[in-house]
Amino acid sequence: MLRKSVSFALVLLLVLGMVAGCGQTGQQQQTKEKELVFAIGSEVPSLDPQKATDTYAIMVGNAIFEGLVRVHDGKVEKGMAKDWKVSDDQKTWTFYLREDAKWSDGKPVTAYDFEYAFKRLLDPKTASEYAYQGYYIVNGEKFNKGEITDPSQVGVKALDDKTLEIKLENPVKYFESLMNFISFMPVRKDIVEQYGQEFAADADKMVYNGPFILKEWKHEQELILEKNPNYWNKDAIKLDRVRILVVTETNTAYQMYENGELDFVGIPPDFVEQLKAEGKAEFYYDGAEFYLQFNVKRPGKPWLANENFRKAVGFAIDREDYIKATMSGVSDPATRYVLPLLAGLEKKFVEEYPYEFYPKKADPEKAKEYLNKAMQELGISDPSQIKFEMLTDDSSRAKMMAETIQDMLRKNLGIEMQIKQVPFKQRLELMNKADYDVVFAGWSPDYDDPMTYLDLWVTGGGHNNTGWSNKEYDELIKFAKTTSDYKARADKMFEAEKLLLEKGPIVPVYFRQRAWTKREYVTGLVRNFVGADPDFVYADVEGKN
Amino acid sequence: MGRYILNRLVVSLITAWVLVTIVFFLVRLLPGDPFTSEKITPEIKQNMMRYYGFDKPLHIQYIRYISNLLKGDLGYSLRYQNRTVNEVIRQAFPYSADLGIRAVIFASIVGITLGIIAALNRNKSLDYISMFIAIVGISVPSFVIGPLLQYVFSIKLKLLPVAQWKGFAYTIMPTFALSLGSIALMARLMRASMLDVVNQDYIKTAKSKGLSPTQIVWKHQIRNAILPVVTVLGPVTATLLTGTFVVEQIFAIPGLGKFYIIGIQNLDYSMVLGMTVFYGLFLIAANFIVDIIYGIIDPRIRIAGK
Repeated sequence: MLRKSVSFALVLLLVLGMVAGCGQTGQQQQTKEKELVFAIGSEVPSLDPQKATDTYAIMVGNAIFEGLVRVHDGKVEKGMAKDWKVSDDQKTWTFYLREDAKWSDGKPVTAYDFEYAFKRLLDPKTASEYAYQGYYIVNGEKFNKGEITDPSQVGVKALDDKTLEIKLENPVKYFESLMNFISFMPVRKDIVEQYGQEFAADADKMVYNGPFILKEWKHEQELILEKNPNYWNKDAIKLDRVRILVVTETNTAYQMYENGELDFVGIPPDFVEQLKAEGKAEFYYDGAEFYLQFNVKRPGKPWLANENFRKAVGFAIDREDYIKATMSGVSDPATRYVLPLLAGLEKKFVEEYPYEFYPKKADPEKAKEYLNKAMQELGISDPSQIKFEMLTDDSSRAKMMAETIQDMLRKNLGIEMQIKQVPFKQRLELMNKADYDVVFAGWSPDYDDPMTYLDLWVTGGGHNNTGWSNKEYDELIKFAKTTSDYKARADKMFEAEKLLLEKGPIVPVYFRQRAWTKREYVTGLVRNFVGADPDFVYADVEGKN
Repeated sequence: MGRYILNRLVVSLITAWVLVTIVFFLVRLLPGDPFTSEKITPEIKQNMMRYYGFDKPLHIQYIRYISNLLKGDLGYSLRYQNRTVNEVIRQAFPYSADLGIRAVIFASIVGITLGIIAALNRNKSLDYISMFIAIVGISVPSFVIGPLLQYVFSIKLKLLPVAQWKGFAYTIMPTFALSLGSIALMARLMRASMLDVVNQDYIKTAKSKGLSPTQIVWKHQIRNAILPVVTVLGPVTATLLTGTFVVEQIFAIPGLGKFYIIGIQNLDYSMVLGMTVFYGLFLIAANFIVDIIYGIIDPRIRIAGK
């Protein structure tokens, strides 16, 4: 009987091998079409432009939709609008749509589609999470908060089929590039009303006006994009098809890349050293910045409200070692607050306003100096009296990161910091309630301008749950947000940044970078720190077999 | 038997209702709410609460949920905003079930065979080999065996695709990885059961009647020994069919396994509740079917039932 089962098993193996072989040859069927294949870490929750919030939706949306403008590699290009102008006070924008702008079903893209989309974003009944992106528009905030109910009072209006006028509350320096954000993609009223809640739930429940159309959406599995023959600039598009696979495990995605199933991939931490040594690793900022955020109104812990104490912590952290120990060296020490890539007047903001507040390495002497000052001010003689807890996420990586900081503070300051790990949503909840001592928090930019980080800390700001309030800071930000003198604006933002580092409730730790690798034949792929990442719209895979 | 089934049905329904009610309130006790996010502001959150009816008193939400549930409507997911939980289950469950059925069949064949081989060769090398395989199967977690299989069969040998679910070649590694634990469970159970049966009087009777050893093993020993294995088959099937987080993640299979976990992480109330209902009903159904299979295999139960 045993012999029988052994032979059965052998036959089974043989059959399996044959079938597997067949599968492989099936895959190798070659087409001359250019196809880019890559993986994303989770299903796209929603492709409804006014409801989408996650990075994958923004990435796909950039390819299947097109706003008034298109931002590519940090530069504003013409999109659905062939031209536009702005009034002298920088508050009224007029966009002229191109005649050949078409939806995938052949109908023309009109200014009314934009007006409808912008108002839909702001309508409280839409319940859009990113509605605040439209608060720049006259009465946008009031309409969204229910203070006014008449949508015609909102400052966006189609003057005719091809002319759109947008009125702003204040001058917005980055307004052009903002028009590339997913929330401002046009949608068609007839299609939205036809599908109701299920609008954009599947590939056939929406229409497209971007360089690609969504041909097929196998949920949790794969999105298949094909070149849009109706797109006005189709000659600039090289790819015929883009396949975006949903692969949650980064290690699995990497194995698929190794096996030739993907054209580019993020490198899992364990492989970074190896690929770096082979010269195959590339790095890019994903826009996220991480910092320690202090609750300055915490009862019973006066040191958290002490500027010198916060700086003592800031100088005691060895940012370089921290990045080496916790992220295989991938990321950039945050020696200041403004992310290095954000736009300034002509160049990057940090190039126009160079500054380094914290060193890359720890400065234990300076840290001790600040600690002594703080202890004097607080009337404390022994650093071990200073106790606080750091709130962080519940992942094992977050734990390792917290312990690294804990160790640095113990060594350089003689202070024992406790660690409290909670699930992500609970951390946000505790932050909202200001129920924490210090939290390890992060922020990603909404638009390409330092303001996206700076305005977080104004008094009464929706995300400022530190209790910190500084009149001078508030004034600087208010000025920068209302002036149309962009040089003065940049100067004030720099002042605000310095003030924040000197007195503010946060200690920057690092600017996150990601490691990735690609096949040599992949060209024209842009990694972005804000907006669509990756931007594959103009990519090419010439030479891929 | 009919009355017994009816009784069990009523009890099952009450269990399901209690389950749904408890989960309905428990999930709302978790800190945070579905719309907590880094960028949201209080006013916008209010808009979203209103949109989903979470601004209404809890008992009204509960009544609304239960009445929708009775119509079979599990509601819209809060994370996948324009998809219903029904739709998510309808799309994801076939993948999990496909993988699960393969794993159950594979595990049953291999597990039971290993158990029989071990029992028939008690304390000989084949027994030790079989039980060693079984112990390895239990001890090595799927998040180890999965990547290992991928490395060996895809990267090194180039025989199978690394992941996803697009044809037979894609199913081999996940099926194996998923069934490993069950193989071990069934092999050990089968072995113990076989050894138990071998000392029974009816085996002695069969031997004294002069039946051939093969006949005894096939007709009397295995048939009786397999009952406990069939018992665990119910829960095992339910577990495997409704999706397993780790294997589905490693092999990028678009199954149901992740939704419970993602649902809880995102406080997606309707998803968590929907999954609870689905799992609950599935487990109840699986146990039902096992009862019927039991009757077929063991005439004693069939007769007692009448």
